[in-house]
Amino acid sequence: MMAVPPWLDDLLWTYQNLIHSLGINGLLALSMYVVLAVGQLSLGQAAFMGLGAYGSALLTLKLHWPFWVVLPASCVAPAMFALAVGVPTLRLSGVYLAIATIGLGEVLRAVYLNIDLFGGALGLSGIPARAETWMIYGLLAAAVIVLWLIGRSRIGRAMEAMREDETAAQVMGVDIRRYRMGALLASALLAGIAGALGAHVSSFIGPNEYGFQPAVTILSFALLGGIGTPLAPVLGAAVLTLLPEALRGFSDLRLVFNGVIIVLAVLFLPNGVFAWRMRRRAA
Amino acid sequence: MTWLLETTGLTRRFAGLVAVDGVDLRVAQGGIHAVIGPNGAGKTTLFNLISGLIVPSAGTIRFAGTDVTRLPPDRRAALGMGRTFQNIRVFGAMTVLENVLTGLHARTAPDLLGTGLLGTGLLGTVLRLPRFRAAEREAVARARAALDLVGLGAQAETRAAALSYGDQRRLEIARAMAPEPRLLLLDEPAAGMNPAETAALGALVRRLGGLGTTILLVEHDMGFVMGISDAVTVLNFGRRILDGPPEAVRQSPVVIEAYLGQKVAARLAKSAP
Ligand SMILES: Nc1ncnc2c1ncn2[C@@H]1O[C@H](COP(=O)(O)OP(=O)(O)O)[C@@H](O)[C@H]1O
Ligand SMILES: [Mg+2]
Repeated sequence: MMAVPPWLDDLLWTYQNLIHSLGINGLLALSMYVVLAVGQLSLGQAAFMGLGAYGSALLTLKLHWPFWVVLPASCVAPAMFALAVGVPTLRLSGVYLAIATIGLGEVLRAVYLNIDLFGGALGLSGIPARAETWMIYGLLAAAVIVLWLIGRSRIGRAMEAMREDETAAQVMGVDIRRYRMGALLASALLAGIAGALGAHVSSFIGPNEYGFQPAVTILSFALLGGIGTPLAPVLGAAVLTLLPEALRGFSDLRLVFNGVIIVLAVLFLPNGVFAWRMRRRAA
Repeated sequence: MTWLLETTGLTRRFAGLVAVDGVDLRVAQGGIHAVIGPNGAGKTTLFNLISGLIVPSAGTIRFAGTDVTRLPPDRRAALGMGRTFQNIRVFGAMTVLENVLTGLHARTAPDLLGTGLLGTGLLGTVLRLPRFRAAEREAVARARAALDLVGLGAQAETRAAALSYGDQRRLEIARAMAPEPRLLLLDEPAAGMNPAETAALGALVRRLGGLGTTILLVEHDMGFVMGISDAVTVLNFGRRILDGPPEAVRQSPVVIEAYLGQKVAARLAKSAP
């Protein structure tokens, strides 16, 4: 790749894990954002991430596919599960999607634990570190830009309209089921990619990385940052990724911390910390 | 004669209550058609059935030559049906202009010849293709024209929630009118307005009627309706009790008794502790 000055190289090396986490959590925050942006609540982001992680790790370890094929292929399983969960629940009220996606996460965790192919409680190890920093940040930047462009268009207006008032949106001609499904699919793709990248920077993945706790953490990224723009949840993720580093000694309290953040954000900052609103037109 | 809108035996029951009871409503192309009736007569329920927000218990709805009884609201909008709500439903966080642009959603749909992706579809949007930008410019021009029509042109960039009550009502009308629907349903547009605002609204509705959009208007205020309507349908307890030109309806003893009787009774009930 490009030549990097030695001081930057040192810095990147020292904080490599943190830098990777920041980028990957940014993608996860966006995967939460696209669902919340149409007024739905899914708690399946961690499950979709797990599907991307396990799927990509197996393609690399067992089939030895090159990473540039593994990465897009890692989206297939999350997309299929998004359809399977979304088709029956998205016609109903929002709470069914939330419940079904929690269920999906727990079912998948049981599958990883009990089927040999997925390595059981030990997970999968020895995954080669093929995800480079530039890939993570390139994909994150691309996702932010694409979602920004979509936000400032007819599609973005329809999404905000659904979030504010589904009845009024429908009467304007917005096909709300289609938008909900589209959002859930986009969410699954982003989380799947994040999972594949995560698996290929950490060399090891295990079933507990994709359970209920990470699902709540991903939700707190978007609740803290807000969903006024695609950048807001990414910044929320950055804050929640960096803060535990700063408070290293308290890492056991991470879940408590996230819980408190959710409660405070909902009570006092319903639009998030980064609550700027974007213009909804391109002309 | 073919009707723009025709309901046959339209019925909607809510637990133990028939809110709309076998209504046959025929709305001719062009002009202003009013549905009047006292509070609770089933007018809003009738509108919800016509626009597809609730499904009928029985009966059919034909609109512009299509049986729309089973179509969801967004498909009816695409066929050229627009509406406003009795309780204001503007998108408060959006600007006034963005509200009206959203109203153009069906109108600016990706076209059918496989170019959905390229125009206002996903690909055209993300790549900002010329067709996308042209559609967006056209939508803004249309939205501004609709705002000028209702006299909100100067407030285009105001947050909708910051508008006065009367202006929010006008915004809803602009949002519904922007796509130039074939049929516009107005649910009690004069509700909560003072006499001056009501008079201005009457003039506006008449102007809209002259633009080629057929207007179906719900009101419980007879005075507002009589001056501007070409045809009037009277509902009471969910049933259609009379149909005809405004003069005939105004003079009908059945209507005066049923309608005003109700109103007087309601007023008496309200003034009693
Ligand atoms: N969702 C609902 N559930 C139960 N009853 C309803 C519902 N919507 C309307 N109603 C009842 O149906 C009747 C007609 O209401 P509505 O159509 O709002 O009357 P109007 O608009 O003429 O004042 C009323 O008695 C009302 O209480
Ligand atoms: Mg009503």
